[in-house]
Amino acid sequence: MSWYYIEGILIQCGYVLMVVLGLSLLTGFAGLFSFGHAGFMAIGAYMAAIGTAKWGLPFFPALLMGGAAAGVVGAGLGSMTLNLKGDYFCIATLGFGEAVRLILENWEYVGGARGVSGIPWETNLNSVLIACVVGTLALMALIRSRHGRNIIAIREDELAAQMSGINTFRYKMIALIISAVYAGIGGGLLAHYMTYIQPKMFQMVKSTEYTIIVIFGGMGSVTGSIIGTLILTFLPEMLRSLDNWRLVIYGLAVIFIMVIRPRGLMGGMELSDIFRLPARRRAARMAAERIKSMEDAGAGKEAQR
Amino acid sequence: MINGLSLGSVYALMAVGYSLVYSIMNFSNFAHGGVIMVGAYIGYFAMTAANLPFWLAFVLCGVGAGLLAVLLELLVYTPLRNRNAPFLYYIISAMGASIFLENFVIATIGPTYRTYPQVFSTEPFRLGALSLSRIDLMIIAVAAVGLVALVIIIDKTKIGLGIRASSFSIKASQLMGVNVNVTIFIVFLLGGILAGFAGMLFGMKYTVYPTIGAITTKSFVAAVFGGLGSLPGAIIGSVLLGVIEVLVSGYLSSNFRDLIAFVILIGILIVKPTGLMGKTSEDKA
Amino acid sequence: MNWRRLLGLLCAVMLLLSAVPVMAEDPIRIGWIGSLTGDSAVFGVNESSMIKMLVEETNAAGGILGRQVELFTYDTKGDANEAINATRRIIAQDKVCAILGPNASGQCIAIASVLEQMKVADISTVATNPKVTLNYDEATGEFTTVKPYNFRICFTDPYQGAIAAGFAFDELKATKAAIFYDVSDDYSSGLTQFFEQVFADKGGEIVAKEAFKSEDVEFKAQLTNILAANPDVLFLPCYYKQAALIAKQARELGITAVLLGGDGWPSDQLFVMAKEALQGAYFVNHLDVNDPAFAELKTKFETKYNIPLDLNGFMAHDAYLTLVAAIEKAGTDDSQAIADALTEITVQGLTGTIKLSKDDHNPIGKEGSITKIAGDGYEFVMKYGLGQ
Repeated sequence: MSWYYIEGILIQCGYVLMVVLGLSLLTGFAGLFSFGHAGFMAIGAYMAAIGTAKWGLPFFPALLMGGAAAGVVGAGLGSMTLNLKGDYFCIATLGFGEAVRLILENWEYVGGARGVSGIPWETNLNSVLIACVVGTLALMALIRSRHGRNIIAIREDELAAQMSGINTFRYKMIALIISAVYAGIGGGLLAHYMTYIQPKMFQMVKSTEYTIIVIFGGMGSVTGSIIGTLILTFLPEMLRSLDNWRLVIYGLAVIFIMVIRPRGLMGGMELSDIFRLPARRRAARMAAERIKSMEDAGAGKEAQR
Repeated sequence: MINGLSLGSVYALMAVGYSLVYSIMNFSNFAHGGVIMVGAYIGYFAMTAANLPFWLAFVLCGVGAGLLAVLLELLVYTPLRNRNAPFLYYIISAMGASIFLENFVIATIGPTYRTYPQVFSTEPFRLGALSLSRIDLMIIAVAAVGLVALVIIIDKTKIGLGIRASSFSIKASQLMGVNVNVTIFIVFLLGGILAGFAGMLFGMKYTVYPTIGAITTKSFVAAVFGGLGSLPGAIIGSVLLGVIEVLVSGYLSSNFRDLIAFVILIGILIVKPTGLMGKTSEDKA
Repeated sequence: MNWRRLLGLLCAVMLLLSAVPVMAEDPIRIGWIGSLTGDSAVFGVNESSMIKMLVEETNAAGGILGRQVELFTYDTKGDANEAINATRRIIAQDKVCAILGPNASGQCIAIASVLEQMKVADISTVATNPKVTLNYDEATGEFTTVKPYNFRICFTDPYQGAIAAGFAFDELKATKAAIFYDVSDDYSSGLTQFFEQVFADKGGEIVAKEAFKSEDVEFKAQLTNILAANPDVLFLPCYYKQAALIAKQARELGITAVLLGGDGWPSDQLFVMAKEALQGAYFVNHLDVNDPAFAELKTKFETKYNIPLDLNGFMAHDAYLTLVAAIEKAGTDDSQAIADALTEITVQGLTGTIKLSKDDHNPIGKEGSITKIAGDGYEFVMKYGLGQ
């Protein structure tokens, strides 16, 4: 394979990873399921693109502006919908994602369905690499902090978390806003890689693709998200010579991994858990327990009803 | 209004499938669109390639789609259920199945749009000042009969009792001697049959193509609108959504029709998170 | 299964699949990219099949410059990022000297920077957005410079919208027009914008403008409004699936206006889906249906692939002819030389004489063929250009 081709895929992995990291925090760690992340991406992408292409801002501030805009909208959405439970929150995000796209399609200032073009080509391997490294480190730091543990506690058992004094609404909100900012920055990177964006690029399918990556890599594992992104972005490219059969195989692969290994590739473990050999068994057991408790919680709710 | 009713009836046939599965398994079956699409293709090929009469093709497509839904449940969902996986995994698998079905059809049958041979004359049926197209009448009739039959099955038969019991609690009904596997099997079969009918009627009124399943997003919205897991809710939600869509694009703005549909969706969730006819929110945790 | 073993297996499969077959000779390599899956797969399959057929013919006849032609085709799923990946792969790994396709403007615009970096030309078949070949400054709202490696053989949205509006006003003597367009589609929005402008400039009135979305199938609510506005013509800038469904529903509602469409219409499916409703409708086409070469190519294609030949196939045909002529003119398969040669050749294609302009890389003076739907087929009405 030629390096130029690989470089292209790696850049794609880069901006996808930004979105996936954000989604990983929301879905993998806070246990909230979103079908609307394409909407946050769209907001970030359009904001950043308008910044550089229309207002002549430099790339970096425009990117941050895109992330900030997505974060603000995320806060707004969260304040209205975070009280909803399980499936219903996920459905509200689905409605949100579609609504964002529909508004963009009807908004002439940003070109309607014809989109924004003439965006400078600023996203390269270096910029996505920096964004991803910073993004990953920041996320790891957050998860290992007290706040991160509170967020995980919500996923494990929201009621118990609330009873031990955690303001669950506030922490869910934090997770959603950070997640939206990541998606917004990912969108900004995408816009400056494509040099052209249109609402069509942010369909619901995109949101589901990213969610599939998070689950595929393993919920509650940053390493899993990274590996999942790499595999699921490279896989369709590897299958490129199969023409129209490749999505058939992609669909099968998704079902297969869910049925064979429903905890995803990493199953809640981090790479460091595996390499820290003496502690390895203990870490693995803890991870297994974490997942087990999750599943029991699911079963428990079943029994309560 | 009639257009809205007929659109709403198609949504209803699809939404009922979602709701049935949701009421028992507690997850949104996104592979439903694929089942609808396959149903539409079975009907199409039964009528063109095999030259079967309409009613036979209709039965065949219901049976075919029902079997496909059951097959999905056996191959994909049963292994997940056996290990008590959280609902996220079901949704992801359902999406994988939907990607698979759609692209399998594109790769084998091809992406071309196909048109059913004409069964009903296009001559509209006149009732005073109203003029109704025959296919619309047919859709409304099939939806009404199908849905009433479904309600009777669920309310009056022993199987229906099992389904209702399982929707309260799978574990408890298992203890009470309900064969949960058979119940779930039947739920998928019923949902699949109705999906097949919906697919064929939709194909007859409009056209058949591999991404036909995309419209199920709408029927999903309708199911939520009425309250997930509630059958009457799904039906009322669907008809309402169909009518609202037609009214919005007729009197307000066709550009913003879907936007309004989604805004209503979010609005309903905020005001009454369980939909119009939903169960109380405690058991949806 | 052990998950590490699974991972290893996955890696092995990937390596196997990515292995490039080794070529014995040194053929001329050309590429096509476009949608083979997704919503617009029906158009991409048509294009790629046509080019495959033509390459086989060229090779049977001895190739170009005495060398065989090797064709690479990649799916883009209708997605701009996929198009970038496919372009990077086809240029850097398969070493093609020029690319045909992709079949949508969004993808063409997105691959421009890669083409510029690698200095390989792309000839688009049906990408009608002006921004495909010209750089656009969002801040000033003006077109600036020509993109050095993007070419196209079709006319643009402004041109086609203007042709349709001009024909409606001047030839059909329509004064009241209604537009029913796909708000989620850039092609449809483009045509609408320019049709509206030109028709109003000429002195006509747009009495209704309604919108739908690509995946819609039920149009009666909007059509009821159009019926009330009582237009002379109803302009439907969309693809044939919607055109057929809309035509049927419009006639059922009793709309009698003349239906007018763009180059998204021509397809056999149009007749299968709504023959009756579309009788007497006009559309802007790229080719003259009376041309005997048209029927010959159609029969050959349809016997070979058993799928109906759409306009995309004809456009792909002409894009291929243009590329072959450019390679012959350049006398080499050097990609820069081919890009230079593209504006220097004149090709007699099925869709008219193709001469690409140096200034905007669009075909010069390509006239629209106004075509009427009559009985089981098309009837050529007139050539209509903007000069008239």
